[in-house]
Amino acid sequence: MNLSRSSSSDLILDVDHVWKVYCRNLKRAMWYGLKDVGREIVGGGRDRSHQNLRTGEFFAVRDASFQIRRGECLAMIGPNGAGKSTMLKMINGLIKPDSGSIQISGKIGALIELGTGFNPILSGRENIYINAAVLGMRKREVDSLMEKIVEFAELGHVINDPIKTYSSGMRVRLGFSIAANLRPELLLMDEVLAVGDVGFRMKCFKHLNELVKQGVSIVLVTHAVGMLQRVATRSVVFGQGKIVHDGDLETGCTIYEEMLGASDRIRAKKKEESGRAGEIGSVEVCNELMEPQAEFETGEMVRLRIQINAREKIKDARLVVALCSPVHGVLSSVSTPYQGIHFDVDLPGRVITLEIPKIPFLIGAYHFNISLFGPEKVDFYHRSSLRGVFRIVGPPTDGNGYGINGITKLQHSWKING
Amino acid sequence: MGTEFEKSKPNGEDEQPITVARRIPETSEDGNSEVAETLGHTSRAVITYSAQSSIRNPVQLIRDIAMDFWLGRELAWRLFLRNIRGLYRQTLLGLFWAFLPPIANTAIWIFLRQANVFSMGDTQVDGTVYILTGMILWQAFIDAFQMPLAMLNKNRNLISKLNFPRESLLLVGIGEVLFDLLIRLLLLIPAFLIFQVTVHASILYAPIAILGLVLLGAALGLLLMPIGSLYQDVGRFISMVLPFWMIITPIIYVPLTTFPGSLLNWVNPASPLLLLARDWLLLGTTSHFATGLIFGAAAIPILLIALVVYRISIPVLIERMTA
Repeated sequence: MNLSRSSSSDLILDVDHVWKVYCRNLKRAMWYGLKDVGREIVGGGRDRSHQNLRTGEFFAVRDASFQIRRGECLAMIGPNGAGKSTMLKMINGLIKPDSGSIQISGKIGALIELGTGFNPILSGRENIYINAAVLGMRKREVDSLMEKIVEFAELGHVINDPIKTYSSGMRVRLGFSIAANLRPELLLMDEVLAVGDVGFRMKCFKHLNELVKQGVSIVLVTHAVGMLQRVATRSVVFGQGKIVHDGDLETGCTIYEEMLGASDRIRAKKKEESGRAGEIGSVEVCNELMEPQAEFETGEMVRLRIQINAREKIKDARLVVALCSPVHGVLSSVSTPYQGIHFDVDLPGRVITLEIPKIPFLIGAYHFNISLFGPEKVDFYHRSSLRGVFRIVGPPTDGNGYGINGITKLQHSWKING
Repeated sequence: MGTEFEKSKPNGEDEQPITVARRIPETSEDGNSEVAETLGHTSRAVITYSAQSSIRNPVQLIRDIAMDFWLGRELAWRLFLRNIRGLYRQTLLGLFWAFLPPIANTAIWIFLRQANVFSMGDTQVDGTVYILTGMILWQAFIDAFQMPLAMLNKNRNLISKLNFPRESLLLVGIGEVLFDLLIRLLLLIPAFLIFQVTVHASILYAPIAILGLVLLGAALGLLLMPIGSLYQDVGRFISMVLPFWMIITPIIYVPLTTFPGSLLNWVNPASPLLLLARDWLLLGTTSHFATGLIFGAAAIPILLIALVVYRISIPVLIERMTA
């Protein structure tokens, strides 16, 4: 894939089969670093075959490929250590890929850390010149933008005071304002949206949306997936260095939430022990017709089929089921006694079905935590977490104030008075 | 309303060396439209990052280095001003701190000489001026030698987070070394007056030798920077051997002319240019022209190689900073 020869001239970034190797062992990393410098100097290059890892090394990014077009806002999401920030660093040219290539056709602006290079002793105005120079601007350009930058940051009253007298929020505002007014063609942002007060954050989103409309492409790296839909239209999900999803944002966020759940699930499984008098057996999420199903729309019927296994008879059992989201925790918890259901579990067990006629939740991944008790508070048999994983895949939500958004669909109506 | 960028390249021929691509389009009065206008270009700078070593295309590499020195000049100037302003804004004595180390060092050696701890040999000018000049030159060489690693360590945060012309840091570093040197050289004016040193015309060529001394120091420091950045042992070792290095450099005594002592003038890279510069500053005649010229000439290829090493090693070093 060669951008300069490619007919699609609106391609701004082309990441092509990129691999990156890291080493966590400090002593080894230092030694490898020295060897790498030596190898580069004699022209050896670093295009190592994928299997050829040295002791202690691992792939931080494996075989990643994706493209970004003009005016696209892409979110890179994934758990910690999945390779997002490494990818961003390679796109920004800070570090080199170990295999594959990255082509960028346009001017890059990066907001990796706001206010890198601020000198606390100097005034805000002096620091604007320094920061802008680091980002590649000349004095003349800064002069013409100075008012705009100060105004956007809402710091007109303190701009001639030393930076060390600023609050952290003020520094962040100044940093974003400088970078936001640079107008690159590809803007890279790493976790910078999670800062500042709500009002300023909204202003930032608005500004980013305007940039996108003008044809600027944006790559966002963040954990705060809830905010993404304000700007991003597409997502690339990283899992253990690999791209596991490249497509629409909703699916991406759902997959990410599921991945967070999956890592919890593995941990939970290790803790589990066997040999109880009664335990939660198989758990299945089904549709109205009792057919197993994993994807639903908001408002559809969800049935949870729970198999309880018993080694001894359990008299007057209680079942507690909590519906959870990996991001938000327990959303709702119900129990059999609440609806006056009392049941015994005979050998070898029985099946209980929980019916949710209209699932009220919006797009996202969900699961159940199920606990089995006897009649008394202390009669605990078994708790099984992260069971019956399912997804709500539609209808779409809207973060721009034209539809509904959040976790749950609220029953509501509007009245216009007067 | 075209941008400056477009004006200079009216036919959309902005196919430039890759480093230019970092430049942000200039902004016009109607701030919002310039991106759209720039986007209208069909041919544009394309940056490619791959695993291949850039040394395979040495001509391009040298051109990129030169281009980044040029593009980094304004940033370097800003950072230089920042450091200088920041440096003295929170001090009571201000610029006086630039003078203090060579005065203190000279005072110590003058005291030791007067106590007959060592003999200097025939210095031809007053011993105080002789030592002071040597100290100032030595300090400049050592500052330059330690500058690359110090620059890298001081700006770790900046380097590992932002992509900017890395060469600008070297400009800042050299600028700071020369700034301190110039301030210290001012000390020679009262020293010349007090100790009645005759000023020779050769003082006019002294800056060439001094510049060579500083560049040679910086080049050697640059070559050590990758190892020094990975292994702190290097920094510790250097600070340990510096006093010995100073002793084997003829600063507080006249250079040895008899074998094997004279050998030191050839193996110690600090010696030849320092001796040449000092002779030109103080004596008017020199017997170190040939060695000085050789070392000065050698500084140029060494510096070029050092710049290549610097540029190539930075991405690898960033990796290890964060890994």
